[in-house]
Amino acid sequence: MYVPDFEYHAPKSVAEACAILAELGDRATVLAGGTDVLHKMKVGKLAPEHLVSLKHLDELRDIREEPGRVVIGALASHNQIYTSRLLQRRYLSLPMAAHTMASNQICNLGTVGGNIVNGVPSADLPPILIALNASIRLTSAHGERTMPLEDFFHGSAQTRIEQGEILTEIEIPDQASTGSTYLKFGLRRSGALAVAAAAVSVQVAGETLHGVRIVLASAAPTVIRVTGAERSLVGRRIDDDLLAEAGYLAAQASSPRDSIRGSAEYRRNLVEVLTKRALRKAIDEGHA
Amino acid sequence: MSDNHKVIGRSVPRIDGPEKVTGAAKYTGDLKFPNMLYGKILTSPHAHARILSIDTSAAERLPGVKAVITHKDVPTLKYGLSPARWDESIFCSDKVRFVGDKVAAVACLDEDTCYRALKLIKVEYEVLPAALDFLHAMDEGQPQVHEEYARNINTEIHQEFGDVEKALAEAHHVRTDTFVGQRTYQSPIEPHSAISMWDGEKLTIYSSTQSPHYFQHYIAREFDMPMGDVRIIKPYLGGGFGGKLEPTGLEFAGAVLAKLTGRPVRTFYDRAEMFAHNRGRHAQYMEITTGVDKDGKILAAKANFIMDGGAYTSLGIASAYYAGALLPLTYEFDNYQFDMFRVYTNLPACGAQRGHGAPQPKYAFESHLDNVAADLGIDPMDIRIINARRPNTVTPNDFRVNSCKIKECLERVRVMSGWDEKKKNLPHGRGIGVATGSFVTGAGYPIYRTDLPHAAAFIKVCEDGTAATLYTGSVDIGQGSDTVLCQMAAEAMGYRYEQMKIVAADTEITPLDFGAYASRQTYMSGAAVKQAGEEVKRQILDMASSMLGLPADDLDCGDGMIFSKSRGGKSLTFEEVARKHFVLRGPLLGRGSYTPPKLGGSFKGAAVGTSPAYSFGAQVGEVAIDEETGEISVVGIWDVHDCGKVINPRLLHGQVHGALYMGMGEAVWEEVLFDDKGRIKNAELANYRLLTAVDMPPITSEVVDSYEPSGPWGVKEVGEGATNPTLGMFSNAIFDAMGVRVNSLPLSYEKVWRALKEKREREEAAQREQDARREAQGRRADAQRETDPALPPLYANPA
Repeated sequence: MYVPDFEYHAPKSVAEACAILAELGDRATVLAGGTDVLHKMKVGKLAPEHLVSLKHLDELRDIREEPGRVVIGALASHNQIYTSRLLQRRYLSLPMAAHTMASNQICNLGTVGGNIVNGVPSADLPPILIALNASIRLTSAHGERTMPLEDFFHGSAQTRIEQGEILTEIEIPDQASTGSTYLKFGLRRSGALAVAAAAVSVQVAGETLHGVRIVLASAAPTVIRVTGAERSLVGRRIDDDLLAEAGYLAAQASSPRDSIRGSAEYRRNLVEVLTKRALRKAIDEGHA
Repeated sequence: MSDNHKVIGRSVPRIDGPEKVTGAAKYTGDLKFPNMLYGKILTSPHAHARILSIDTSAAERLPGVKAVITHKDVPTLKYGLSPARWDESIFCSDKVRFVGDKVAAVACLDEDTCYRALKLIKVEYEVLPAALDFLHAMDEGQPQVHEEYARNINTEIHQEFGDVEKALAEAHHVRTDTFVGQRTYQSPIEPHSAISMWDGEKLTIYSSTQSPHYFQHYIAREFDMPMGDVRIIKPYLGGGFGGKLEPTGLEFAGAVLAKLTGRPVRTFYDRAEMFAHNRGRHAQYMEITTGVDKDGKILAAKANFIMDGGAYTSLGIASAYYAGALLPLTYEFDNYQFDMFRVYTNLPACGAQRGHGAPQPKYAFESHLDNVAADLGIDPMDIRIINARRPNTVTPNDFRVNSCKIKECLERVRVMSGWDEKKKNLPHGRGIGVATGSFVTGAGYPIYRTDLPHAAAFIKVCEDGTAATLYTGSVDIGQGSDTVLCQMAAEAMGYRYEQMKIVAADTEITPLDFGAYASRQTYMSGAAVKQAGEEVKRQILDMASSMLGLPADDLDCGDGMIFSKSRGGKSLTFEEVARKHFVLRGPLLGRGSYTPPKLGGSFKGAAVGTSPAYSFGAQVGEVAIDEETGEISVVGIWDVHDCGKVINPRLLHGQVHGALYMGMGEAVWEEVLFDDKGRIKNAELANYRLLTAVDMPPITSEVVDSYEPSGPWGVKEVGEGATNPTLGMFSNAIFDAMGVRVNSLPLSYEKVWRALKEKREREEAAQREQDARREAQGRRADAQRETDPALPPLYANPA
């Protein structure tokens, strides 16, 4: 495997990183865990002149609780998320999603920020983060901006990150949801990309749902929210037929394609099944 | 069997265990030599193309590049593994025949420079239409992969034994099923590599090979050298499974590059290149017909197969013969017809993967047999027991079977798995299936024609008797043969395993052995080792006889002690006797060799599949199917084998687990996929889905008490036979769970889901029809209508 030549930068602060990126423009690519970027370079899909490594920016590795929110540094590794006591206590569904991702070696390197910025529809963390209504902070030499994560993706591997920007943190707001989960269908039990996946969060009140968010992965060119299916659930009495109908609506709203992991027809069926099952799990088991 | 053995039959720790678990073990790719260069091979991006020109000048000018070679710089002699079809060249000169065919190579100061240099080699191609579908490769007008082989036929086999048509005509029930198998790849954890170096006219190659001897033979032939001037050394090796049996091209290119530069050259494949070099499982189309009597006894069988060979022969002629030759082993029937075409396609060449040609045909036959059993209303376990081969029988294709306990294996696995109970009571979505397998214990004949013994061994006892070194050409590729052979040597000598050392698989130091393939080493290498050990023991007893003043035939030696068999009293240690021998009589050495007896019939292809002994086994698997997704969960697997005397139980069960692991992958999860240009879509380990530890079910593995009279201490093979039942076992368990058959491998979740969906749709349609009929009947007020018969089992092929 051939990694093309590049110049390497390892800034000591976010400000320095932003300055380097501002200067290099489109000649530079940000390197976090490297599990996507280096692979793309090896297979010839990416050949940046400069790599700007974030490895010294330890302040971006923190996972912390603040009034009204939980903040996850963009450099937190998948295994950091998996093992975070804080996340396990508040939103266990997120550590469990991180646990489905890859081998231990990759989970030690790969970062939540990278998983988001890479922008692929099969990413495992964006669906559950969107279900939890997360927003992201983007920092550049010109300042900072935040946006809801669900607005970040707009095409396969297409995101709204601007040249010179670094994704620095992810915020999960305190919420009324009573449960959430991420169900992924892979073709083996470990180290498998999603053939299809569904993340949900639910706010159960008595016999009905007050609020619900349903997010699909590997079901469209981007990770998508299926609001039609969500609306079908709100205010109605929870029963298996209701959840099955939501699954059906989610499948209708999905637009999977044929891939080496499964035909479009099969994947649409999986969306239906996973949505139904994820709703049941989140309703019955809380954040799990 | 009374067991008074001191060393064999015990789960001694592996002789290479500490080095491997501490990471100290050096594999070929770990080795470094002064001034060593790195070499890489440039391969074809096209499945089929004419080479118009090759310009290496820019690559040659790149700093750090020490040599660039093409077909002009290497011998043009064609090579291969099957002498009947040598069809490979070191580098292509006229055209390329698959994506990955070898075109040129470079030797550079470092690996990065190699990749830069490869990019600078300009090859001009005229792209040709490619033959990518093996089912149509023989059709008129298809692109010709090799001009010499009309209609892309690489191997054609037509064999008939007995009178098949007559037996089918007289049968109570005749059934035909067709199945399709997929391409899979061995995927050893260690990538192939070779380090080549010259000392004057002598060539030394360190190689990750399963057979130093065949490498030595083929390399000497290619470069027109005496075999004595070619030295092949196999360092530690991380798995082969048949994929490292033959020259890979790395050795040939590396040897030429090393000669030109005067420096050692390391050549190697990365994971994607391993997939392209391939030599994995052939995809196969398999039509099986059997005729049975009313009890399910098989009267005749017909196998009509087509195999996707890929662009070259590799060991594929043998694979093609094996596919049919091994089918009559587990069940007895007299009438058998086998027809086969192995065809060339513009895809990577297929070869010998664990179980060689046998696992896919076994999948087809075992699935078919369950269909027959369902037709007749016979329990799948019973139909196998009814047909089970007996010991001391001869197959219709002239294979002599000595020991054979397939019936006992079936009876035992029936009890272990709780078969009868589960067959009655498993809940909806759960199923249980059984299948059998059998395999050669070493091939009866070598790969190239020679009268050399198949195995040889020396033992050298250290001058003070505190150690003995076994020298063997056999090849430990991870299966544990070094350990097992040291146990056998110690047993034969009356010595201790803990004091054994081993030097193996170095053609200059160790005696001839054909290597690790066809499950041959415990039996064949073991036979040579036993003989060598016994020669040492004879000399020890003879020496001890003069030291003790007792007749040698009254003495015995075990666990390192020499003692009188008739009277107690004084004993001697192996060490003191060995030392005295060295002082008075010179070096204490033992030698042994093994040549199989003449085996098999005289028809064309009769040699392939012959073996001095055959292993047998039966597997039961239980699965749970998620009907909404098709996901298959393996609840448990029970395996019982007849593999003769067991030398090391732990290693034996390790082989069973490993073979099952590979068989599981082939059954449900693994498939090499190609795009419409003949490029592999999943030449990596993310989308070529090898199973992981967490996918493995609980496995219960047992052996039946068995003794093979022809083998050393009664041993037989286990390493490949345990792969043979697995695919069919899964097929049958899934059939049992769903009532519907998936007729193509892999039995993927999606195919299972689709088969269930189609079954549901058929049942709904039948229900609608029934309802409509009832309504019409109701209108006619005809109340005495019989109920509809139960739906017969459904067969679907969603491929």
